[in-house]
Amino acid sequence: MSNVPKEAIEVIAQSIGITNLSPDVAIALAPDVEYRVREIMQEAIKCMRHSRRTVLTADDVDSALNLRNMEPIYGFTSRDALRFKRAAGHKDLFYIDDKDVEFKEVMESPLSKAPIDTSVTSHWLAIEGIQPAIPENASVEAPSDGKKAEYKDDGTSVDVKLPVKHVLSRELQLYFDKIAEITMNRSFSVVFKQALLSLATDSGVHPLVPYFTYFIADEVARNLNNFPVLFALMRVARSLLQNEHIHIEPYLHQLMPSIITCLVAKRLGNKFTDNHWELRNFAAKLVASICKRFGHVYHNLQPRVTRTLLHAFLDPTKTFPQHYGAIQGLAALGPSVVRLLILPNLEAYLQLLEPEMALEKQKNEIKRHEARCVYGALLRAAGLCMYDRLKMFPSLLAPPTRPIWKSNGKVATTNKRKASTDNLMQQPPAKKIATESAMGMMPINSMQADVQGAASSFSNTVGGSNIGVSSMTRPLSNDNMLGREVGGRVSKTSTVLAQAWKEDTDAGNLLASLFELFGESMLSFTPNLSFHSSFD
Amino acid sequence: MENMQAVNSFVAAYLKKKGFKEAEQLLEDLHSKDSAAPIDFHNDPDLAKFIHHFSQSEDEVARYQDGYSKLRSWTYSSLDLYKHELLRVLYPVFIHSFMDLVAKGHLQEARTFFNAFHEDHQLMHSRDLQKLEGVLSQSHLEEMEFARSLRQNKVNVKICQYSYDLLLQYLHKTQSSAMLGVINEHINFQATSGQPGSISDDIEVVTLIGSCQDAANQINQKEIHWGLLEDSLEERSEKEGGLLSDSEKTEGENKEGDAEESKKRSAEGGKQGSSTKKLKKDKAVNATAKSTRLEAKTTSSAPRVKPELTLPIMSTEVEQSILEDLRNRVQLSSIALPSVSFYTFLDTHNGLNCSSISHDGSLVAGGFSDSSLKVWDTAKLGQQTGGATLQGENDSTSSEHVVRPNGVKRSYTLFQGHSGPVYSATFSPLGDFILSSSADTTIRLWSTKLNANLVCYKGHNYPVWDVQFSPVGHYFASASHDRTARIWAMDRIQPLRVMAGHLSDVDCVQWHANCNYIATGSSDRTVRLWDVQSGECVRIFIGHRSMILSLAMSPDGRYMASGDEDGTIMTWDLSSGRCVTPLMGHTSCVWTLAFSCEGTLLASGSADCTVKLWDVTTSTKAPRNEEKSGNPNRLRSLKTLPTKSTPVYSLQFSRRNLLFAAGVLSKKV
Repeated sequence: MSNVPKEAIEVIAQSIGITNLSPDVAIALAPDVEYRVREIMQEAIKCMRHSRRTVLTADDVDSALNLRNMEPIYGFTSRDALRFKRAAGHKDLFYIDDKDVEFKEVMESPLSKAPIDTSVTSHWLAIEGIQPAIPENASVEAPSDGKKAEYKDDGTSVDVKLPVKHVLSRELQLYFDKIAEITMNRSFSVVFKQALLSLATDSGVHPLVPYFTYFIADEVARNLNNFPVLFALMRVARSLLQNEHIHIEPYLHQLMPSIITCLVAKRLGNKFTDNHWELRNFAAKLVASICKRFGHVYHNLQPRVTRTLLHAFLDPTKTFPQHYGAIQGLAALGPSVVRLLILPNLEAYLQLLEPEMALEKQKNEIKRHEARCVYGALLRAAGLCMYDRLKMFPSLLAPPTRPIWKSNGKVATTNKRKASTDNLMQQPPAKKIATESAMGMMPINSMQADVQGAASSFSNTVGGSNIGVSSMTRPLSNDNMLGREVGGRVSKTSTVLAQAWKEDTDAGNLLASLFELFGESMLSFTPNLSFHSSFD
Repeated sequence: MENMQAVNSFVAAYLKKKGFKEAEQLLEDLHSKDSAAPIDFHNDPDLAKFIHHFSQSEDEVARYQDGYSKLRSWTYSSLDLYKHELLRVLYPVFIHSFMDLVAKGHLQEARTFFNAFHEDHQLMHSRDLQKLEGVLSQSHLEEMEFARSLRQNKVNVKICQYSYDLLLQYLHKTQSSAMLGVINEHINFQATSGQPGSISDDIEVVTLIGSCQDAANQINQKEIHWGLLEDSLEERSEKEGGLLSDSEKTEGENKEGDAEESKKRSAEGGKQGSSTKKLKKDKAVNATAKSTRLEAKTTSSAPRVKPELTLPIMSTEVEQSILEDLRNRVQLSSIALPSVSFYTFLDTHNGLNCSSISHDGSLVAGGFSDSSLKVWDTAKLGQQTGGATLQGENDSTSSEHVVRPNGVKRSYTLFQGHSGPVYSATFSPLGDFILSSSADTTIRLWSTKLNANLVCYKGHNYPVWDVQFSPVGHYFASASHDRTARIWAMDRIQPLRVMAGHLSDVDCVQWHANCNYIATGSSDRTVRLWDVQSGECVRIFIGHRSMILSLAMSPDGRYMASGDEDGTIMTWDLSSGRCVTPLMGHTSCVWTLAFSCEGTLLASGSADCTVKLWDVTTSTKAPRNEEKSGNPNRLRSLKTLPTKSTPVYSLQFSRRNLLFAAGVLSKKV
């Protein structure tokens, strides 16, 4: 009936040496014990209130006992609230954790510091009703009277959140210093290779990741003219990215700008002596690997990268090395990106590039060389893209290349089934937009594609995006071709059918147009040697 | 005759059950001698039934249990319109049934009964239930003042006529004599004609109070003179101000006067940035707030009363300084909020029990649980504060130097003498004395000039929870665990008056502005107002639901504010004894309350680490003006000033309306 069971009374009686306590006595005592405990607690709460506290302490209970002229309970006095522990296996049994203390230890331990004496400080809580923003005041955020408790919690949480002091072990510090030193000064030595290996495989470097990312970002910014250092830093970045034990994602935002810089910077090292093309290629691969690895986690990663690169590519005021870097970067991101972003602009760009490569128009040999490099990059990008397409539709290459657009109908029928299944994944609205703008100016084309690409396709899986992208890009090149060669064909057939064979026509047309632009060199990108030989 | 037999056997059984052996014997004798009983039982079947009930002794417990549970289910299934009124009846029936069962010795059953039904009332009456839960035997009922007062008094329940009829009908129909008995014995129905009241109609319904409501009402009939003292300094300054504005009609002259004053004060050297600001603000207020002045005048044209105590004589210098403060007072209103200077106690190791700030803010005292009293001179708190919080007060009032005993570097003056935790400290109006009260049952008077203990006042038998100087000094009041409040004079070691009447500890005490009354707040959840001269209780204020922790009196003497453990602040009209409006907003104990000097703002400090400013002109004065309209602006919290995890222990408006606050920086566990 009462909260104090008679068994408790019996136990207490036994503990003080009364063995023959009659059950009647226990039953009579139990309720009284409970009442007395409640009485003491009531007084203790009064004492607590008068001590201006909201937490009951052992002192309060002692003073309550004092009020009732009883001896206080010794041994529990503490200025802090007691900490109770739950007894294992019991839901509502608690005890005070009382550790055994070695007497010797207590004796030998140094004297504890004297507590700091009480002091008083003053500050302005409010000046004419407005709280000044000083550290003594709680931070003022949205003072809503209704949600008082919450607000208060906010204030204290701000208060509690102290900067966490991050401690690096001495060994790690030495390691970091060493790596940094090698990277900066001895990047050609064997030791550097060892260091890169260590960075790529060691699980213990994790605490250093923020330092390394900061180091890379910092040094890239400072050493734009120092080619060996830049290259070494990129290799460090690659090693860090390769390391499976470290969690580099939170630092990507710091790392990416440095890598992009090494890809499309105006000047990287000495223009004449250093092989900055190689660095750009390296950085392009790095960017691509990052996009591949983290693209599905951070959906805006690849769109942001491509946008940056496309801006570099389409800006005629940028230098050729920058264009080169942009093309390489885009190409490394995969054939779909090339189809979407480079191919539509290819013709116009080549018109710009053509005179720069010509010996008679461009006297500056270096410029000419650069233009040739860019041309090579474009060729490679376009070729790889075409190779990819042709691999998907190998039947295209069965007939000779030149008459492809004339025998399209037949090809289309053979591939109809496959194409129509692909068709299910296509996005008509996107296509429509693309078609509408297809005949427009080149920059508009690319803009359109850029927007759509950023919006939908980049973050898709490779297969899906291939289809999606092709559905968007096809009309661009297709219409170019149609306008020239087989105008008006598409409009007559139903959309579905058109879609089905356009898929194929497209690949064929692509090859044709690329062949027109690049000439014979394009043929080296066709997938199968047997086909290749058939052309010869 | 058979009937007669039956009656006789009933009576015999009843007597046997009640243990009236002699009466039983007597009855038997009577029967043997003369079987004809003179009383005619036949015509009174009800009586027979009643007696019949009593004869069924085993059923008694079950009757309570059944009766209550039936009444309960009936109530819950009654008409929605009347349900909440009938629910009000349930609670008193519940607790009285429980206590009846305990009183009759059915402890086990009482506990079962309690456990079965207490959840219904948990929401409204959790504190009472907690107390009652502990009642486990008859002796406990006798001992516990709460239970005793409940049993001695009737509960008033105000319900509408129809609900009352419904209830009566039900009780008649069910013949539930146990319930009928409880209701007759302990509930006093006040049936009102018309529609049932709304659920949240009046707070008294849900608060069962110990004292009889009638007695309280009777007490509250007494006349009180809440007016201010005749010929007070405020009045004089008002007059002066009136003269000033009469004679110096032009605004320019007025400004000149102010400028002159500021010059004078800067010459005095106690010149601070804050006081210049104050002055500027003052000027602005002077220019704009003529109307407020006027209003202030009307409020202070409250009835004047003669002091019932002999008041100490004030020296002219002190008078001058106070007058100057009054002249420089900033007019506060809902649009002109005060500046708040906060004194934070650091490293108290959970030992600070109370704090107090002198009227000019120059001294801060803290009472500690290690029996010490420590006083800080705020002028020496540190360079950055450098007494910026002082208001260019005349040096005569602040103690100039803190003596540091024997080379020990301390930032404060240590007063030792108590032998128990110090629960309260108060500064005399001029700051030259401190009173402290302690768990050692004594009150000690300390001089801040001599840094020494002057007097030890013994009289209370239990810890003294609170002590307060009167507004004029010399007299002080104390409140104690011994359930009394006492009035003392500094020059007597015995109390002058003992105010007894509270049913539990007196937790806080406050003087009325005219020194003729003191108010006390108690753990019995009432606030009482006492006449200092006669020692009689003149008002009982009922409405709080938990222990009262703080009290404040408005400077015009008309209103009082009280704060409780739950964070509720109530403002009371002293003349009517009614609650003007409850101010809700704090989420934890309200440790301190303070009215601004002209009574327009109320500041409250709480354990929830905020200082709140309330507009009391809307909450207290509006209803007075438009009492008829019945739509007073209920409560208005003007501003909440959160501190950085520092519960606010004390608040003090200086005479120039700068608000001082003090509290302990407490680390969250």
